[in-house]
Amino acid sequence: MLTASEAERFLIQEARLLDERRFDEWEALFTDDAVYWVPMDPDRDPTDSVSIIYDDRKRLHERVYRLTRTPVLDQNPPSRTVRIVANVEVEPVDGTGEQRVRCNQLIAEMRPGGPGQAGLNSPRWLAARCEYRLRPVDGQWRIAFKKVVLLDSDQAQYNLSFIP
Amino acid sequence: MAITQATHGYEELVVDDPREFRVHGSIYTDPRIFEEEMHRIFERTWIYVGHESELPAPGDYKTVLVGRQPLIVSRHEDGRIYALYNRCRHRGAVVCREERGHSNFFRCRYHNWVYANNGALIGMAQASGYPEDLDRSRYSLVPAARLESYRGLLFVNLSYDGPSLAEHLEPVRKYVDYWLGRSPSERIQVILPPHRYEYPGNWKLQAENGFDGYHGNYVHLSWQRVLQLSRESTVEEVQQYRQEGCVRGLRNGHGLLERPGSLNPASSWTARMMHRYPEYAEAMRKRFSDAELVEISARRNIFVFPNLYLFDTHIRVIVPKAVDRTEVQLYVYALEDVPEAINRSRYRGHERFYGPAGFGAPDDIEVFTEMQTGLQATGDPWNLLNRGQHRERVVDGEVIGHTTDEAPQRSFYREWRRVMSQA
Repeated sequence: MLTASEAERFLIQEARLLDERRFDEWEALFTDDAVYWVPMDPDRDPTDSVSIIYDDRKRLHERVYRLTRTPVLDQNPPSRTVRIVANVEVEPVDGTGEQRVRCNQLIAEMRPGGPGQAGLNSPRWLAARCEYRLRPVDGQWRIAFKKVVLLDSDQAQYNLSFIP
Repeated sequence: MAITQATHGYEELVVDDPREFRVHGSIYTDPRIFEEEMHRIFERTWIYVGHESELPAPGDYKTVLVGRQPLIVSRHEDGRIYALYNRCRHRGAVVCREERGHSNFFRCRYHNWVYANNGALIGMAQASGYPEDLDRSRYSLVPAARLESYRGLLFVNLSYDGPSLAEHLEPVRKYVDYWLGRSPSERIQVILPPHRYEYPGNWKLQAENGFDGYHGNYVHLSWQRVLQLSRESTVEEVQQYRQEGCVRGLRNGHGLLERPGSLNPASSWTARMMHRYPEYAEAMRKRFSDAELVEISARRNIFVFPNLYLFDTHIRVIVPKAVDRTEVQLYVYALEDVPEAINRSRYRGHERFYGPAGFGAPDDIEVFTEMQTGLQATGDPWNLLNRGQHRERVVDGEVIGHTTDEAPQRSFYREWRRVMSQA
């Protein structure tokens, strides 16, 4: 069992790892069969349509590798983020030992640069409804599923490569 | 050199010098030039508004912007598709606000003027306020001057003047046919919703980039490292691949980047899929000759002037919003009559590179923003597009260049200059 305050503590720790760009530690929170999904339309089957992000564990590893170990342009300079986790609700998933956790997140993001640089220096806000499935693995909670539905998921987005 | 009159001198803004083809930076930064582009290009040439598969049934509709004008594209009970200005004939409110949907009529919410989805005025609130013999046919939603389709691709032209769609597409038509040929029935089905991204930069930066074969090894080195991580290709292999093929600058402003076709599964995606799925190979061989299959298996980024790209995974529409703001829509499509697994792997492959969180497209977007900032510096206001001018050759009206050369960009800007200079 997981109480709402335990779930909140878990989500806050996850948010801290992302805000502090500790992406390897963040990746380690996911189970081997995990799915990380940022849909454009959450009602559509992601296998037969296209999503902003629809990562299995291998693709998630590529994402973290790209951010941390390749000469990526769109995260150089890197994003600063501040994440707020709220409205946390928990319910058990029948017969699995997993817990479904819902929350809302506000993500403020900004990339710093010199004067007049297009795309830099202006904070933007992303609001999202999130759903997680957490699974106990060796006494630790792990993320088996994470879905981030942006408020404007079906609208045009500027780069989201910082990991929303 | 100071160019202060944006409304004149397009001849001078694109300099077709045989050694130093160049364009003036103001075409990316001057709001007055942007205004003129909206009128002279987007309201006078053929603009892609969607694919017929987006509107399969009578009553289906989508709304689009052509330049900055709101239009409805709708399929009527007669099965035909109509392009209508989204403006009530009474007092000018839009009659449809949704992005897409299904409806038998469009209703203005101000005074309940109601139109059929071919634009015919059906009625209005308190009709007794108008004469009984009112000729309602005078007050239909106004249709776009021209709506034509080529093999399911729908284009409108807001002007009655100028070439037909067939004339406009003629130089690029065979490449569109090859593009469709990866489906053995030569049909595609658009998968909704599209990827949509936007960036703080001019629309032509994206237009110039889709057939640019020069930037890949630098802007997408990160992507090449990801491929190497997953043991799909080494960085050296990808960089070698990016030297193969050619670019083609076509008449009417079209152009493309092309990787060579092959029947060898090791060398082309189509051949690999045919090797992996015998039923696909059988259907393709039944439909096409070996020579056609080689052409079909060539991977091309096909640009259709002024703002459309046909890619192997998606139809790309560049939507100018302001001189320094652009939206790009990527309509991924299914190839019809191929094994489901082929399309699913195409969707996953698309997501991996494209879209706002892909491993490739955000790097391009980043460069567009760097260009938009740099173009504010006018010490020397010229951008060079002269790469490969000394080594290009002309075959059957096509200018063919090394895969890293700027021949298609030159075709684009020659047509841009011609259209912008028209009275």
